[in-house]
Amino acid sequence: MLGFIIQRFLQAIGVMAVMSLIVFCGVYAIGNPIDIVIPPEATQDLRAEVIRRLGLDRPLYEQYFIFLVNLLKGDLGRSFVYNIPVLELIGGRLPATLELVLISVVSASIIGVSLGIYAGYRPESWTAKTIMAASVLGFSVPSFWVGLILILTFAVNLGWLPAGGRGATIDIWGVAWSFPTLDGLSHIILPAINLALFKLAMMIRLARAGTREIMLTDTIKFARAAGLSEITILRQHLLKLISIPIITVFGLELGSTLAFAVVTETIFSWPGVGKLIIDSIAVLDRPVMVAYLILVAFLFVTINFVIDLIFALIDPRVRRGAAS
Amino acid sequence: MTRQSTPFSRFWNEFRENKIALVALSVVVLLALLALFASFVSPQNPYDLANLSLMDSRRAPGFVGTGGYTHWLGTDPQGRDLLSAIFYGLRISIQIGLAAGFVSLSFGAALGILAAYSGGRVENLIMRLVDLQLSFPAILLALVIVALLGQGKVQLISALVAAQYAYFARTAYGAAKAERGKDYIEAAVATPLGSRLVILKHLLPNCTPPLIVVATVQIANSISLEATLSFLGLGLPVTEPSLGMLISNGFPYMMSGRYWISVYPGVALIILIVAINIVGDQVRDQFNPRLRK
Amino acid sequence: MKKQSFLAPLALVLSLTTTSVASAQTLTMGVRGGPESMDPHYSALGPHAEAAKHIFDTLVWSGTDLQIEPGLATSWSPVDEDTWEFKLRKGVKFHDGSDFDAEDVKFSIERIPVVSGPTTTTIYVRRVAGVEVIDPHTIHIHTDGQAATLPNDFIRLFIVSSEAAADYSTPETAAEGFNSGAATIGTGPYKYVSWEPKGDLVLERNDDYWRGKGSWEKVVRKEIPNDSSRLAALKAGQVDVINYVSSVDYLALENDANIDAVKGDSVYIMNLQLDQREKTPLVRALDGTELAQNPLRDLRVRQAIDHAIDRQTMVDIVLEGLGRPANQMMPPGFFGSSENIPMPEYNPAKAKQLLADAGYGDGFEVDLYCTADRLPGDGAICQGLGQMFTQVGIKTNVNAISKTVYFPAQARLEYSMFMNGWGTLTGEASYTLGGLAHSNNPDVKLGAYNRIEYKNDDVDRLLQTGARMMDADQRRATYEEAMEKVMADKAYISIVQLQTVWGAKAGSVEFTPRYDEDTLAFFIKSAN
Repeated sequence: MLGFIIQRFLQAIGVMAVMSLIVFCGVYAIGNPIDIVIPPEATQDLRAEVIRRLGLDRPLYEQYFIFLVNLLKGDLGRSFVYNIPVLELIGGRLPATLELVLISVVSASIIGVSLGIYAGYRPESWTAKTIMAASVLGFSVPSFWVGLILILTFAVNLGWLPAGGRGATIDIWGVAWSFPTLDGLSHIILPAINLALFKLAMMIRLARAGTREIMLTDTIKFARAAGLSEITILRQHLLKLISIPIITVFGLELGSTLAFAVVTETIFSWPGVGKLIIDSIAVLDRPVMVAYLILVAFLFVTINFVIDLIFALIDPRVRRGAAS
Repeated sequence: MTRQSTPFSRFWNEFRENKIALVALSVVVLLALLALFASFVSPQNPYDLANLSLMDSRRAPGFVGTGGYTHWLGTDPQGRDLLSAIFYGLRISIQIGLAAGFVSLSFGAALGILAAYSGGRVENLIMRLVDLQLSFPAILLALVIVALLGQGKVQLISALVAAQYAYFARTAYGAAKAERGKDYIEAAVATPLGSRLVILKHLLPNCTPPLIVVATVQIANSISLEATLSFLGLGLPVTEPSLGMLISNGFPYMMSGRYWISVYPGVALIILIVAINIVGDQVRDQFNPRLRK
Repeated sequence: MKKQSFLAPLALVLSLTTTSVASAQTLTMGVRGGPESMDPHYSALGPHAEAAKHIFDTLVWSGTDLQIEPGLATSWSPVDEDTWEFKLRKGVKFHDGSDFDAEDVKFSIERIPVVSGPTTTTIYVRRVAGVEVIDPHTIHIHTDGQAATLPNDFIRLFIVSSEAAADYSTPETAAEGFNSGAATIGTGPYKYVSWEPKGDLVLERNDDYWRGKGSWEKVVRKEIPNDSSRLAALKAGQVDVINYVSSVDYLALENDANIDAVKGDSVYIMNLQLDQREKTPLVRALDGTELAQNPLRDLRVRQAIDHAIDRQTMVDIVLEGLGRPANQMMPPGFFGSSENIPMPEYNPAKAKQLLADAGYGDGFEVDLYCTADRLPGDGAICQGLGQMFTQVGIKTNVNAISKTVYFPAQARLEYSMFMNGWGTLTGEASYTLGGLAHSNNPDVKLGAYNRIEYKNDDVDRLLQTGARMMDADQRRATYEEAMEKVMADKAYISIVQLQTVWGAKAGSVEFTPRYDEDTLAFFIKSAN
């Protein structure tokens, strides 16, 4: 078991190293980073000075090495555009994104799994078919389109909810959260719906597919034969069996929801990291791009690692067989 | 007289039983034909600047323009007939979806099968990379690549391929690995027949069904992703608008009542993606052995 | 964003009753672009300077119509050939109570080259060779040679406190010092409270401001770059005023009784620029082969291009009426604008004739480049141009791209035919003609923005003599003559002058639109 954990941990480190290399080279080697930083009419001396100051005159591998050293110290460089440390820039906006993503993901999972189980349990019922039809729409329609329609309907035409921005915040444990206030809640509803839709559809389909499969297995047949009530079967067997694929997808989808927040944040002017990234990419603010990609990679590697650990704890096969 | 019972005809018969999937398939085919023959069915070639007139700009549906014909769905800010623009836009969306899908499929499947066949360290290395890619959000990757490489069809397709080949690799790998373990493959490898033949004749056919399922989903995803990128301003250049760009161009006009510029392309896009997904759903259900009891 | 303590259930109740709508004492503005930092010397971009003008004052003030007025300097006059004397305003205090004096001016000028960022602000002090403090309210600026327009350069010279910013004047310390508020001490109408990059800038009134007390106790500037979101915020009542209402929405607003739309002429003019080099990269024959010569060097071809442009339709249809046809690179009435330049005639038949005369009866192909995200309508105008040119035989491929890609590429001379807006922010011609029309000559520091290798010796001569004339009328006449020559050459073709639209809650505020499109809270008065 310990061997398994160590092995996975080392792999995670390896993956991070490779990721950082790819990201760094990819972002800094293509195009000319200096173009964005220096005004076009700058003199040769100014050009040379800025290149030297940013360390861009050194060979790529040396730049990468310096970057790694700083990374381990926790210094992700300074934004080309704002000239403040990237970590500060991203950190300041992270709570907003986290709040949005967490609310979306949790509600989508709870609602989605419940609906999906129902649809898989009674696949021929009219309700189930409606749910499935809606779910296809849910992940087919591009999220930017849904966002625009939501704003148009609820904010402009009906005037029930605000068109964008984040509401009033309350400090809990030193971080500003907006959902505990009514104002904050009214601001978060539309973006959360927008973000959750895709994941909701995913969860419904996943839960339905899983439920259908599991209901046809021998385990369930035997449980029925043994006289267990349907509710007990659902609770004891179905939920447990279905949890494994759902947890896996949950973890992966958490990251992808974080990524899709980019679109939602842009449309709803939500002051989170996603909006920052789009802007940074549009102006090619490379330090911010690199830092964000590395942070996302780090998040994924961590999530994967945690999931691997959970499986190790749940699934005895893994525990026994993987310590090689 | 016995009816010929090929796997395809069995598949098709079962497919036909689901009326909804059948409708969806016909929609896809219809849209594909419209896109293919766009230049014949469109009253106007919206990409040829010589045809356009600013005097026709932003007209409501039903307006008769300077060209003498009716603009059934209205016009966009540059005077393009929206119906024509939708057909041409469909063509671009489908082109990109198919191109990205095909390249991702070939590249991903080749990689996956290679990994399954080679085994050992090569397999480990390839699959670790693929796993890495899989967990990385497609949209971020696509955004960064397009931002760095610039705008254009080739760059966009490269970005989409980079974001999606991993799905195909993973699927092909899984299927090929399952097959690889079987005895008859071991036997075939031992003979002097050559590995290429083994792969082609045995591994590949078993990988095909799951690959097809992934392909339908990924094509729909490519189309959706391209639309999102265009909407964010990082997609194709302005003069050959895809559906995503048409929607994006039209959105500022929604607030002032000129809804048609965004709504009709949006509807077309949604119909296309939903239809592909429904077909994909049915195909997946049919190929899933665990549901066939 | 209000921060409340956790143990405040009362706050929850209050939050039910308080919305983000401005109370009579707070002005909430929705702006398209915001500052890159709180250090006014960091960036030369418009939105950055606009934000800085709330907290800091400039030495010389640029009025509503961009003509210069006293700011922190009350008067100025040349002492000799390369020295200007500025008299400074007395009795002005910084936000921390300290006095404003000549030391602060000297400190600010010397600080700029050290801390300026990518869009360098050194252009505002480029002629300064030295600063001499004569007494606390008199300062001498020594220039490198005769600098007739030095006062115009100082309309963006922000004055910071020499005491407060003393420790925060290196590239590493400037951002933290100003963004935290430690150095953000100015003499301006509002005091700094808080700022989030790309977020909200919160300000409170400076009751001792030398121009008087502003209407608002508190000002919040929210950055909302998306046009539709910004308008939606106004309609929903989340903000009181917005800038840059797009032409698309403007017509709809005229029918909306809840919103006032305030329209003003802008200083920005869209200019088409035609490469004059012998070999140009993006022009070719219709079959794709290279042409023997660059057709844009032939005056007849350039005149043809000019006649192909239907300026009125551009204004009426593409800009939905929010603009005026333009015949020169500065708005009418500016220092150096000529009244003798005729408005070019839209005549596609003549255009085709001229092309045939020049030997291009079959036409040719060209790639047209412009920005899509900098000024209202830029991408749309470009596409309109593409249509108009194609219809006289010049097949045009339109590329409307992001400004961050466009400007560096344009500077590297990668384009043959391109269009962007130019704003004569200093209100007079030496800025525009000196930058664009003079041949590129670093020795005399002219022609830095001339990206088409346009060279007219008469124009060069006029501009150089004009820069030395200290007599305003003489200088004016010289510049007018230069402008006439430049526009007749048709290497620069001015298309339209833009108009800017602000939106506000009906009957809530009044203000006069500015040419440079700045939205300044101090000059927005409450209408109640």
